[in-house]
Amino acid sequence: MNNINIAETNQNSKKSRITKAANYDSVIKTKQLTKKYGDQRVVNSVNLHVKKGRIYGLLGRNGAGKTTIMKMILGLTPITSGQVDVFGQNIKGHEKSIYPHIGAIIETPGFYPNLTGTENLEIFAKLRELNSPNAVKNALEVVGLPYKDKKLFSKYSLGMKQRLGIANAILHNPELLILDEPTNGLDPIGIAEMRDFIKNLSVLHEKTILISSHILSEISLLADDIGILHRGVLLEESSMSELERKNSKYILMQVSDVQKAALILAKQFNIKNYALKDNHTLHIYDTALDVGEINKALVTQNITVFSSGLCEDTLEDYFKKITGGKGIA
Amino acid sequence: MLKLIQSEFLKLRRRKFVWLTFSAALIMPFFALLYFHYLGRTGVDPIQFYKWSAFGYTVWIILPVVLGILCAMLMREENQYEVTTQLWIVPVSKMGYFFSKFFVILIYSVCFMMINAIASVMFSVISGCVVFEWGSVLFLLEKCLEMGILTAFTLLPILAIAASQKGYILPACITLVYAFSGFFIMSVNMYLHPLSSMAVIIMRNKEIPGLVFTQEINIFFAFLCIIIWDLISILFAGMALRRKK
Repeated sequence: MNNINIAETNQNSKKSRITKAANYDSVIKTKQLTKKYGDQRVVNSVNLHVKKGRIYGLLGRNGAGKTTIMKMILGLTPITSGQVDVFGQNIKGHEKSIYPHIGAIIETPGFYPNLTGTENLEIFAKLRELNSPNAVKNALEVVGLPYKDKKLFSKYSLGMKQRLGIANAILHNPELLILDEPTNGLDPIGIAEMRDFIKNLSVLHEKTILISSHILSEISLLADDIGILHRGVLLEESSMSELERKNSKYILMQVSDVQKAALILAKQFNIKNYALKDNHTLHIYDTALDVGEINKALVTQNITVFSSGLCEDTLEDYFKKITGGKGIA
Repeated sequence: MLKLIQSEFLKLRRRKFVWLTFSAALIMPFFALLYFHYLGRTGVDPIQFYKWSAFGYTVWIILPVVLGILCAMLMREENQYEVTTQLWIVPVSKMGYFFSKFFVILIYSVCFMMINAIASVMFSVISGCVVFEWGSVLFLLEKCLEMGILTAFTLLPILAIAASQKGYILPACITLVYAFSGFFIMSVNMYLHPLSSMAVIIMRNKEIPGLVFTQEINIFFAFLCIIIWDLISILFAGMALRRKK
């Protein structure tokens, strides 16, 4: 992805009007947002708070309700109950004034297969009434797609389609980006580029970004704030730094005989706060202890120490802990 | 609205099928040529030739069927490739979207009938069946323009049905039923079906010989029938598009 140089558009004046006029603390705020299909609740009383200029990572397994929440925010699916406020305004009844300030990709972005990428974007530029002649060119440059290329959209790879979707989302220089699994179909280099690009949009251009993913590593590298969604329920919402503080630290020991090691630790160091993970792995939660001393004590009692060190729970560990299940990636 | 209409035409780039369907406008002029050529007639009354080439099956069956298929096609592709999701986020007004499609149908319908008119004149004059005269040509052009505009309006119910569906099979089937039923209902009540009402408006001055009406010609009822059907179609399309995300 190239450096960001999104064209200023005639919508900028309108944009500043909406952001200045409204007094809000969260760009997106949902109140008891619920979606039911028949008797099944796919989204259950979700209170989401996406703060201005930050990247909010919505994390959840497939089918957790991430896309449904995004669709409800964008008015693409009716809300069963609850409310969505965007830029401090209830989205219902204010769609025409709010949507021009949002750029979004929901699922795999769809375009006209008989047109080229440039022609597709030209249609959306026309519909958005963008006056800048370079808007399409700049948006394509940002995502690394050629301008005026003759390749039809039907011949695009999945990665190229995804990039074109991003280009369309940023075409009108929106303040808020809603990106539903934007790295789907990208190769590892493409994923890294997309990550840098999204980060830059937030840092350099102060865009507010709501991004969903089921890939833990992606969210942990990207998000400032995180929401963990499980079976339609928002289990946790906090900043990444807060989450890191919450994550438990422990001394990880991998030894030949974990039962014997536990007895020695209890006897010699009076350690009670520990957990046996398997036949060879032990977690000691008293991190003030000297790892060298423990090693020495175990070795003198003929226990082989394969490895030892201070560790911290990853986002995956945390995710497993609060969802009570397996990790997702 | 203008931007929406412009973008509708941009979307038609490289759509060969759309351009190919224009060839259907040549079917009846060609058969008219064969018919009169087979009979070995020369100096035929131009209206007789045009009755075959333009005022017959072209406007009652061929054009409605072609327009119905076009309606289904215009609506289906955006649904199939999920472009509508992106359009609603822009945001594009749902009724604006519907009317921009209708505008494409209207322009197409007029172009189709103009091609048919030009083909009718060329086939009739070049073959020597008809002697060229401006009066009959202008009459043909006027009637073709009328038919082109009115047929587009009579096809609004099909466009509304196409807007409510994801596929194209049902709208295409309904088009066939719609076109043929208009043809048959005409003998029962001319003011029930938009296509038969359109016939009343076009034939209001009884300038086309050989056509017998079962009821008195009433332009007001004919327009009323088309307007009622169109209003119901617009309401239905509005509801269908609001439901469809």
